[in-house]
Amino acid sequence: MSDTKAKILESNELMHHLQCKRGDVGRYVLLPGDPGRCEKVAELFDSPKFIAYNRELKTYTGTLLGEKVSVVSTGMGCPSTAIAVEELNMIGADTFIRIGTSGGMQPYQRPGDLAILTGAIRDEGTTLHYMPIEFPAVADTEVVCALRDAAKKLGQRYQLGVSQTKDSFYGQHEPERMPVAKRLEERWKAWCEGGAICSEMEAASIFVLSSIFRKRAGGIMLVCANQETDDPNDNTPTDDVTDMLAVAVEAIKILIQQDRANGKI
Amino acid sequence: MVPSEELQEHTRIKTGDVGRYVLLPGDPGRVEKMAAYLDNAHFVAYNREIKTYTGTLLGEKVSIVSTGMGCPSAAITVEELIKVGCDTFIRVGTSGAMQPGIKTGDVAVVTAAIRDEGTTLHYLPPEFPAVADVDVVTALAEGARSLGITSHLGISQSKDSFYGEVEPERMPVASRLQERWAAWCAGGAICSEMEAAVILILASIHRKRAGGVMLLYAVPGVTPMTEEEKRQEQSAARIENAIEVAIEGVKVLIQRDRAQG
Repeated sequence: MSDTKAKILESNELMHHLQCKRGDVGRYVLLPGDPGRCEKVAELFDSPKFIAYNRELKTYTGTLLGEKVSVVSTGMGCPSTAIAVEELNMIGADTFIRIGTSGGMQPYQRPGDLAILTGAIRDEGTTLHYMPIEFPAVADTEVVCALRDAAKKLGQRYQLGVSQTKDSFYGQHEPERMPVAKRLEERWKAWCEGGAICSEMEAASIFVLSSIFRKRAGGIMLVCANQETDDPNDNTPTDDVTDMLAVAVEAIKILIQQDRANGKI
Repeated sequence: MVPSEELQEHTRIKTGDVGRYVLLPGDPGRVEKMAAYLDNAHFVAYNREIKTYTGTLLGEKVSIVSTGMGCPSAAITVEELIKVGCDTFIRVGTSGAMQPGIKTGDVAVVTAAIRDEGTTLHYLPPEFPAVADVDVVTALAEGARSLGITSHLGISQSKDSFYGEVEPERMPVASRLQERWAAWCAGGAICSEMEAAVILILASIHRKRAGGVMLLYAVPGVTPMTEEEKRQEQSAARIENAIEVAIEGVKVLIQRDRAQG
């Protein structure tokens, strides 16, 4: 442990950006991008209470199966996400599940499907401040299996696979107007051929930071629409995250039960 | 991809010669030893560094195919195996442990690989992660558990230069090699080997399953030990541990695949 970190833990200091301190959050944390979504997630906890809201980072904490659980928004993109995960790690969180919306990338994916992330394409700048590019952004196997078991239990249609974590939303949606259009289009095609199942903006940093901190992380994304669909008649966009959130909450419950059985709590 | 009936250029195999399930050691000299774990194993082909045996496990066809050392020959091997219909790949080998607390004789179940090699850049940009299939990972972990062998799930470093890892100080790019090695360790990598990244990336592109199990041995630089401890460690280095976990893992997969039709 670094001196800085030891000092923070000792002094119970308020985190610079998160405005939370040790004890304010649970080990288990759901990470949406949108601060406006935190209330909807917190409603799924028992006894949720508002903790802090600073910049784009909003925190609620409640319980599931009697265990403390939090929801913390990361803001859009890896720079703010890295700050959120750094500070959550400093105050004791150890299991991170990214939740959010995304675009599908394989022809068979339909709006409403759930993408369970096994890894992420590091198509962003933040994780290069941590690890050389060759290092994989990979999800924790226990978290992946818990999300899969939860999706199965709740009868949801899901896919397992890699997400593209990008820095530029409009570079993905309107690549043709970017000066680097050709590069963006060629790389998008490569990600699809490589088997990527969804495109979003935060997962890579959550996975790489978790590897470095020896914590667990995973992610589950609602597929809102699919620009690569093989059925344009079945591609009406949806942003109803209800089922996706139910799966994420169920997965946390599975992890809590497993952790209890393994004596990790 | 429709399986090709043609004799493949380097592996010298055709459709029907191998099973869906393939174990991939690096060393052709290790193929016979591994084939002995199969029922009705027979020699199929041996060309360059690629040696193939096929037998059965639980009545299902399974093959052992050596890749040679490094990603270039491993890529050729996996490409040709996919052409003849293989869909489940398990790398089996030995490696030095990169984290303290790992004992010689433990195994690493590879969840992903650091693409510290040149071959996969001919397939995908470096940002794309080399990730193992979750079903293969859990099958190998289950195999290890049932055998009572300690397994560590984690990331492997797939490198192109063996001597760049073991003797970095004599390389012109020494400081780069040493700094990157420290980064991989800080990132949590658990083992270093030379083929996993390409097997995982090709499996992603071809929508096949892949994973890996490596025998680990404690490295003095990572885990401090006396001369006597070093001698004891060496005798604990049983490659059989990794082979047996791989064989059990394939059995778990066969049973699961049958249950799911």
